[in-house]
Amino acid sequence: MVLFRQYPKAEVRSRAKAVRWLYRKFLAQNTEEGRGLRLMRDWLSPRQREQFDGTGYFDVVGCVTGRKYRIYHNVLPPNVFEVDDAGRRKVGLCFAPVGPLVKGDVMLAQKIALETDEQSALAAANRIPLTRARR
Amino acid sequence: MATQIVMDHTGDTRHYFNPDDAEALVKAEVRFKELTGLGFTAAVRVSSGEVSKIRSFDPSAEETLFFPRLVGG
Repeated sequence: MVLFRQYPKAEVRSRAKAVRWLYRKFLAQNTEEGRGLRLMRDWLSPRQREQFDGTGYFDVVGCVTGRKYRIYHNVLPPNVFEVDDAGRRKVGLCFAPVGPLVKGDVMLAQKIALETDEQSALAAANRIPLTRARR
Repeated sequence: MATQIVMDHTGDTRHYFNPDDAEALVKAEVRFKELTGLGFTAAVRVSSGEVSKIRSFDPSAEETLFFPRLVGG
């Protein structure tokens, strides 16, 4: 039993460490992706920044409905999910700014849209049932 | 110095201007109107991490961020 309780914690620590290492590496690079990630981190709240650095995603709250959304970095579209209070995914939302933007820019635009103009973001988004959404 | 940050394929392009310079301020306001006229959304930070969407040029904003209109994927 001790082994079963310790192993997942170790795995979680290891995964979080890998995520932190990966983002530090990206952030240090003077590439389009690095600049996009730095801009995004600058505009996150301290709580969102801490969450993103540890997990590769951050949560935002819709300005109209109060619903919680989770925005992921390294996943195939959709990278935005509505989640419940326990963090379980309810539905995928596929929307992004038009044009060829880097991932950090896309995530920042998605955050600002949901936090300041949720209805327009939801109107633009295609809703993807969990059965069709991939990770 | 104030900054207008426009998202693009390079990550972003930054336009710096002195808000105490009347001519620079006019140029910044023209840029604001051009970008929002093209469908860009403009946003400013109101406190640490809190963001507000703006519909008219704010000469007192230290940073204004612009991103293109949203479309469904």
